[in-house]
Amino acid sequence: MSSLLLRILYGFSPPLHRQLFKWPFVLAAGKKDLIDLPVLNEEDLEEQFVRGSGPGGQATNKTSNCVVLKHTPTGIVVKTRSVTHNRKLARDILREKLEVEYKGEESELLRRQNESIQRKQVKRRKVNENIEKKRRFKETLNAEDFGFKSQEP
Amino acid sequence: MTSKTMWLLGRLMHRHRGGLKLSSFVRSASCTAEGAVAPPVDSSVTAEQAVRLWAQHFTLHGISEPLLSSQYIIAHVLGRKTLDGVDRRRLKDPLTDTERVSVWKLCTKRLTSMPVQYVIQEWDFRDLTLKMKPPVFIPRPETEELVGLVLEDLRLIRGESYGTDLRCLEVGCGSGAISLSLLHSIPQLRVLALDQSQAAVCLTRENANRLGLQDKLEVQHLDVMGDTDALLSKCGPVHFLVSNPPYLLTQEMQSLQTEILRFEDHAALDGGLDGLSVIRSILVLASKLLKERGRVYLEVAPCHPPVIRQMIEETMPGLLYLETRCDLTNRRKKVKQV
Repeated sequence: MSSLLLRILYGFSPPLHRQLFKWPFVLAAGKKDLIDLPVLNEEDLEEQFVRGSGPGGQATNKTSNCVVLKHTPTGIVVKTRSVTHNRKLARDILREKLEVEYKGEESELLRRQNESIQRKQVKRRKVNENIEKKRRFKETLNAEDFGFKSQEP
Repeated sequence: MTSKTMWLLGRLMHRHRGGLKLSSFVRSASCTAEGAVAPPVDSSVTAEQAVRLWAQHFTLHGISEPLLSSQYIIAHVLGRKTLDGVDRRRLKDPLTDTERVSVWKLCTKRLTSMPVQYVIQEWDFRDLTLKMKPPVFIPRPETEELVGLVLEDLRLIRGESYGTDLRCLEVGCGSGAISLSLLHSIPQLRVLALDQSQAAVCLTRENANRLGLQDKLEVQHLDVMGDTDALLSKCGPVHFLVSNPPYLLTQEMQSLQTEILRFEDHAALDGGLDGLSVIRSILVLASKLLKERGRVYLEVAPCHPPVIRQMIEETMPGLLYLETRCDLTNRRKKVKQV
């Protein structure tokens, strides 16, 4: 099901190894028109509260206090600047990062594919040009032959 | 510039992968008020390189949290709160001219030990992003817990949706963190916030406007240690009072880190000889202003709870000491009742 979605969305067939690393995708309407965001499994997530050192309270101004939300399968991390955070928002940001991570690889692939297509096109063009050159040269030779022949009495 | 600085900069230039020339250093070096010089830069520095370069430079100058400072500032210039919020590939692209100039300008401010929150002029408190401006006190993470406790307590007393018609007084609002956080969570709440600093009053109003909460919050420039009758005439009865008052002992002030000493309002920190001068005034006000069964929630120093309990029992018959709660670093928050 999801591999079919991928074909429609990206217009090409992903290689087999990539199909093993699939996300369940959910089509969501949003600001970016239709974007597909990966569904998060809570079991894949780790939430850690990081506390700065020192006495704390008014006597300290540390920026190391934060919440770290980690997606364990990929190691992707979202950090906050506060110790209590909007859990939904942090998860949304994480999903966006995962989407970019996945799509990022796809567009890498796309880029490389495009490059190889372009290389082939350039090669083909060159080959065609050579054929064309040879043909024209042959034509001029034939024309000269004709010209020469026509001048004969 | 001293020869030592020249030597240090020379070392920086060697370590910087870009392979900088001395001429570019002379063109783009800038000085801070203290004479600490910003590192030289060539036009193709990437975000990643800038983070490392400035982290090294902060370390060199004894600036606290050198890597974090560098990361927060550069993430901010790139439009994000933290560096992991920046796209991985973006980090490897060269900074645009505008970005580079901005990074160098902000990091140079950090070189003066200005707190990161003042450098980027914002910080997060619970769910909110608030504007920060020196010398208005920067909200501390422990106070986020205080707000959590207040919300939890109110739900216990008044039910899950906090009941109807709720009025609150905040003393010493600073940037407005506590009031705005509460207003964000409780739609029917109305708050009166006081601060003895005009700068704090302005900043709280500005943050309220930015969050669209200005209709639910009244901010007044008043000193809680001033005339009680004048105060009472300006404030009506409230269901609860909340405060993160100055609670440091005067003798603790001198050993504070440079960021605080040099840039934050000392009046927001100094609680007098015993650290209780402002707290005392708040409790006196509370005993007169709280509705029946109203509560006071205060953040205080670790040594204060027993002293405050005694103070209330002996001198404030209208108040009943309820509870001390500790935050994760064992500072105390307290809860009292009329």
